[in-house]
Amino acid sequence: MKKRMTALLVTLLLVMTVFAASPAYAEEKVLTFGCQMYSDGLVNPASQINCAWNCMRYGISESLFKFNDNMEIEPWLAESYEVNEDSTVWTIKLREGVKFSNGTDMTASKVKESLDSVREQGPNGSSTPEKYLAFEATVEADDAANTVTITLPKPDYNLLGNLAYPVMAIINVAETTDFDHEVIGTGPYMVQDHADLVGYTMVKNPNYWGGEVPYDKVEIIFMGDASAKANALMAGQVDLVENITNVADLQRLQDDANYTVDIASGVRCGFSWINFKGVLANDTLRKAIVMAIDNDTICASNTIGGLYTAGFSVLPSTLAYGYENLENPYAYDPDAAAAMLDEAGIVDSDGDGVRELDGQPIMLRYSSYENRLLNDFSDAHTMYLAELGIGINPAYGSSDDCWNDLVSFNYDFDNNNWTTVGNGDPTEYMANWYGKSKSNYCGYQNDEYDALYEKFLETADAAERANLLQQMQQILVNDAVVIVDGYYNSSMAYSKNVGYAHIHTADYYWLTTEIVPAA
Amino acid sequence: MEKKRFIQRYPSFCIFAVLAVLLVLVAVFAPQLSRGVNPIKGSLKESIMPPSAEHPFGTDKMGRDIFVRVLYGARTSLSSTFILVAVVFVIGSFLGILAGYFGGWVDAVIMRVADMMIAFPGLVLAIAVAGILGASTRNAIIAIAVVTWPKYARLARSLVMKIRNTDFVAAATVTGSSTPYMLWKYMLPNTVTTLVITAATDVGGMMMELAALSFLGFGAQPPTPEWGSMLNEGRNFMQSAPWLMIYPGLAIFVTVVIFNMLGDGLRDILDPRSGEGR
Repeated sequence: MKKRMTALLVTLLLVMTVFAASPAYAEEKVLTFGCQMYSDGLVNPASQINCAWNCMRYGISESLFKFNDNMEIEPWLAESYEVNEDSTVWTIKLREGVKFSNGTDMTASKVKESLDSVREQGPNGSSTPEKYLAFEATVEADDAANTVTITLPKPDYNLLGNLAYPVMAIINVAETTDFDHEVIGTGPYMVQDHADLVGYTMVKNPNYWGGEVPYDKVEIIFMGDASAKANALMAGQVDLVENITNVADLQRLQDDANYTVDIASGVRCGFSWINFKGVLANDTLRKAIVMAIDNDTICASNTIGGLYTAGFSVLPSTLAYGYENLENPYAYDPDAAAAMLDEAGIVDSDGDGVRELDGQPIMLRYSSYENRLLNDFSDAHTMYLAELGIGINPAYGSSDDCWNDLVSFNYDFDNNNWTTVGNGDPTEYMANWYGKSKSNYCGYQNDEYDALYEKFLETADAAERANLLQQMQQILVNDAVVIVDGYYNSSMAYSKNVGYAHIHTADYYWLTTEIVPAA
Repeated sequence: MEKKRFIQRYPSFCIFAVLAVLLVLVAVFAPQLSRGVNPIKGSLKESIMPPSAEHPFGTDKMGRDIFVRVLYGARTSLSSTFILVAVVFVIGSFLGILAGYFGGWVDAVIMRVADMMIAFPGLVLAIAVAGILGASTRNAIIAIAVVTWPKYARLARSLVMKIRNTDFVAAATVTGSSTPYMLWKYMLPNTVTTLVITAATDVGGMMMELAALSFLGFGAQPPTPEWGSMLNEGRNFMQSAPWLMIYPGLAIFVTVVIFNMLGDGLRDILDPRSGEGR
């Protein structure tokens, strides 16, 4: 009897403790965030680009500059900058009062340390920091003036954009001990705990410079499958998810008043490369093909939903590169496309439904892979091309298969979804069609384009650069160089537990202080 | 009178035989049954529409009629399954009979290769083979054939070994029968019944394996209508547009059941060990 009483008392005490403690828990603001895991969720900016993205996405790191939703550069950890005439010496004034999450001041010396360290470690990883800040560039710190001065070996007109890229985030190199999981940054959240391949427990950075951090704790849970993310959200297991890449689930959430879906016009472009070293070197054929595909209908269909915005140029229409001034001579017109081929003598003479060119039936190899609805686009293209009398041999595989086909020219069409202005500037992306570029995977060669591209590389003035880009885009459109799928939109969806969340155009900003709990 | 007795004796076999014939007829007359609607042609404006009078099974992601695609899918699925079963039957039996009849190093070589093949889980090896060969219906057939023939070879071998040393075989040898004659006239007939039963009961399983490979993207390539790949196409829409999966799934289910039951029925008739066999 006595034993039983004791047991009862202990139980009572335990229950009371729990109840006594619960008000404190109730007040703690916790966000659960379901997201895709990239590169095992590691966060060392110097090791891999994905890790650098993770570090920024989880709200750990911030960089000197950042992009707004129009991909314009704004100061972040920097306050202002000055640059000399030939864009080789940049003096950046740092924001006052910024501390790392461990309480250390972010001084000019700390910034120099971070920028130097990432480049020193660069060769050990695949982040290629030298692409954003040359190895030969020197960084000088002036702690008294709170400035860093960067001297470049040759002009970089997009240095601010490059410094905004997650690889160049400012971290506390000297005091970070676990670079893989617990990088010390200046962001609103810091790592409290992690479970390999499962997720992170983040807590608010008590030293955050940008005002009150809305959540005390953020549980980051890795979820690979888009449907799993949507289901977890609907089951109340998570409050917020990013990038539901599955139209059906996205629509389910959009149709339900209990959830809010935020869609950002992203800076990714889905497009099919066209191989100029194959039968598609034929201008008429290529132009007729582009003309035979109804891009608007595909993007507006239930299959693609709101995940892509239709367009005909390689650069997204939302960017300020003059999309609205471009003309599309090959807007959808299946009859005109067929007439064009008939006129050029590319006809179906043996009645098998497939036209012939130089006596050979036109059967084109279509490489594609299942990501961001690419296979759906490839299927849709195949369907439209069948109408035109063009046969397709589908070669759908993994992203590696698709990549290998691309770099070995083993394709006629190769469908991909690429970031156009990852560092705020399409220099690298537009090199894809530059005759002398290593990343010209399609064999396209146009002297006029090459001349414009070379001029673009040497131009500092933003308006002039935009103008050149517009001209370059028009040439690509006129030459029917790619089949554009559309511009991929990123998304975030959240339940009523969250007051507001927003997905940014540059989708390496996930956990920001904009995400707040419901009132 | 004889017919009636047969039906009374084997009702299950007769019912499923009729159903199987019906299925084959559906495949053969798919163009007529679909009233000329093209299974490959759709309109994206009508994509993912629920079942209606116009599209009894709804439409898929490309706005194609799922009813028509299921009908045409019977062609792809049945023909590839029959080809697959025929291939493994012929190759497996041939090698098995050789191994059983000649013994010695012929037996050792064939059977060790067979052992190697069955040392791996079947579908996993098939995925590997299909992955190496590239995705297509033909390669999926090859992949599954590669992992399935040992079953027939082992069976044929054991059946041959059972009669290899019997007196009538010895007598045939003594009277000067040539080896091909021996194989053809004595070995094959003594194994074929069991092998045919095995093949008949295997049809359903083989169909499932082909559908599985297509589901995983290693079999039929789009836009070919094939039940396994249709299931895969509809996978993401399981909750919001279940008709994308239900009808091809039902088609696989019904077909597999019919052929499995038919195989069982055939065994009842042919298997000398089952009590009612003749």
